[in-house]
Amino acid sequence: MRDIWIDCDVGVDDAICLMTAAAMPDFHILGVSCVAGNVELYKTYENTRRVMDFISCAAPVYKGADKPLLRELVTAPYIHGNNGIGDVVLPESTREHESKTAWDALYETAVSCNGSLELIAVGPLTNIAIALSKYSKLASLLKSITIMGGACSFGNRTPAAEFNFYVDPEAAQLVMKCGAPITMVGLDVTNKAELFDYEVELINRVNTPKGRFFIDSRRIAMAYLKENGHEGTELHDPCAVVCCAHPELFTMEEAGVYVETRSELTRGKSVTDVYSDFGFEHKNAKVVLDLDREAFAKIMISLLTRR
Amino acid sequence: MNRIPVILDGDPGHDDAIAWVTAAASPMLDIRAVTTVAGNQTIEKTTYNALRICTLCGIHPPVGRGRPRPLINEPMNAPSVHGKSGLDGPVLPEPAFNESELDSVALMAKVIGESDTPVTLIPTGPLTNVAALLLAHPELKPKIARISLMGGGIALGNWTPAAEFNILVDPEAAKVVFTSGIDLTMCGLDVTEKALVFPEDFERVRNQNNHVAFVVADWLEFFYGFHRAKGYAGAPVHDAVAVAVLLHPEMFRIVPMHVEIETEGEYCRGMTVGDIFNISGKPANAKVVMGLDREAFVEHIVNSVAFYGRTKA
Repeated sequence: MRDIWIDCDVGVDDAICLMTAAAMPDFHILGVSCVAGNVELYKTYENTRRVMDFISCAAPVYKGADKPLLRELVTAPYIHGNNGIGDVVLPESTREHESKTAWDALYETAVSCNGSLELIAVGPLTNIAIALSKYSKLASLLKSITIMGGACSFGNRTPAAEFNFYVDPEAAQLVMKCGAPITMVGLDVTNKAELFDYEVELINRVNTPKGRFFIDSRRIAMAYLKENGHEGTELHDPCAVVCCAHPELFTMEEAGVYVETRSELTRGKSVTDVYSDFGFEHKNAKVVLDLDREAFAKIMISLLTRR
Repeated sequence: MNRIPVILDGDPGHDDAIAWVTAAASPMLDIRAVTTVAGNQTIEKTTYNALRICTLCGIHPPVGRGRPRPLINEPMNAPSVHGKSGLDGPVLPEPAFNESELDSVALMAKVIGESDTPVTLIPTGPLTNVAALLLAHPELKPKIARISLMGGGIALGNWTPAAEFNILVDPEAAKVVFTSGIDLTMCGLDVTEKALVFPEDFERVRNQNNHVAFVVADWLEFFYGFHRAKGYAGAPVHDAVAVAVLLHPEMFRIVPMHVEIETEGEYCRGMTVGDIFNISGKPANAKVVMGLDREAFVEHIVNSVAFYGRTKA
């Protein structure tokens, strides 16, 4: 079994990401930490607890940072609805509240795993940055960090920057410089990790509880994207989980990746040397550029139509 | 046919040189002036090269020398790409005429001011001259028909991970040009890195069998040297795209969008931030060239070079 930690800001996409991770037969999820991002922390925390109950995953859920390291919080209710999961109401969670903070729990788990813990972070990187700042040994204890965030070419929150990196660019830069093996699953690949409309319709027709949640929670996001000319629906965060579980389905390249923190126009842009003639001195990440969409869609559809 | 009055503004440079060879060969363009800028090499070298290129092509437009440095930045050159002279490779004829007494900005202002019809600018180097012209002579803006420039790249950089060379050398100048409101066509790395002339195409150029063809084939070979080592399949003749898009727009995929120039940042200074998905809702200020029919582009270069076998230079 693989020891897994997930950090997220649930989040329409994050909910499906947790579902995907919990369904991976060789994933042993040791903990889930919550951060402010898509919506405020009290919502992402509550959503995570409810989603974890909904998918019957017993792993503990920890509360993390309620705002970025240095900046005011920016959220995306136009995608995630007011409550963060497309205004779908899940039953209240009955689980106990954990007393530890996200960063303490993550570190202690990394220590007890002794080098085997794989971290998947699909929200702003605030919690991870705080953990790395507090515990200088953490980076060397992590087997890998798979990040949904960034983009080599084009952003989505601004023309230059992807949402997670835009929200907390300093945290993203801190993580990029931490020295742990990083895989960046950015918009270059997640924009291709889509389900076509007929595939969404198939999930709708089969109508399992998970599929129902997928369809209902995604309504606001899909309407917003359709209005802006997008077809289908992209699964950004699940893409990071599938990439961690099945790297053989993805194309990636070693690259230098750093994050712009010193300008408003390009705030949070992940600057990579994938395409330039002159690069950075250090290659600090694998940048994922493409995927086998058919194989990805098959995994997602099977998960969302299974009783 | 009414020919389009143009000013060629560049820092030759192998790809500037090839761009100018194609411009001088076109019956559609009327080259009213050539102006030089510091970039690929120092202003002394790019000006000398400009005179030699005009002499090779058999044209004698006034050649105005630009300022020795960008508006604010320290000067920056690219000898690793273009060699010590800025145009290393084949032997070129010595200049058959002298540069103009007017400097680049004065010459541009004179040509534009005196022209009956609006003039098109084709900048293929840093935008220092064009920015200085726009700042010093705002009254001439209505007499500039359009600007077709080589610079930037909305998806990628080359000289830094975020920035293309011409914009990086003088980002403030680029900002002046991109906020000028003038009809702007941006030929950036998005298209120019696809404007590849393959090694087998070099022979097609050489086989045109005239004095310009031999030189252009040698330039391509020299220019490919740097790029082959970087893994390119051919020589990206960046600057020639800025001319070709005026002559053969049908060869290109052009997307209007809002483009902002980054003048700040730790990593992004000199980046052209293109809003291809219209996230900002800001109106388009540039026609960004994103793709091309490579074979048609190569054909256009071969045909341009063939022209010099049909005329007495």
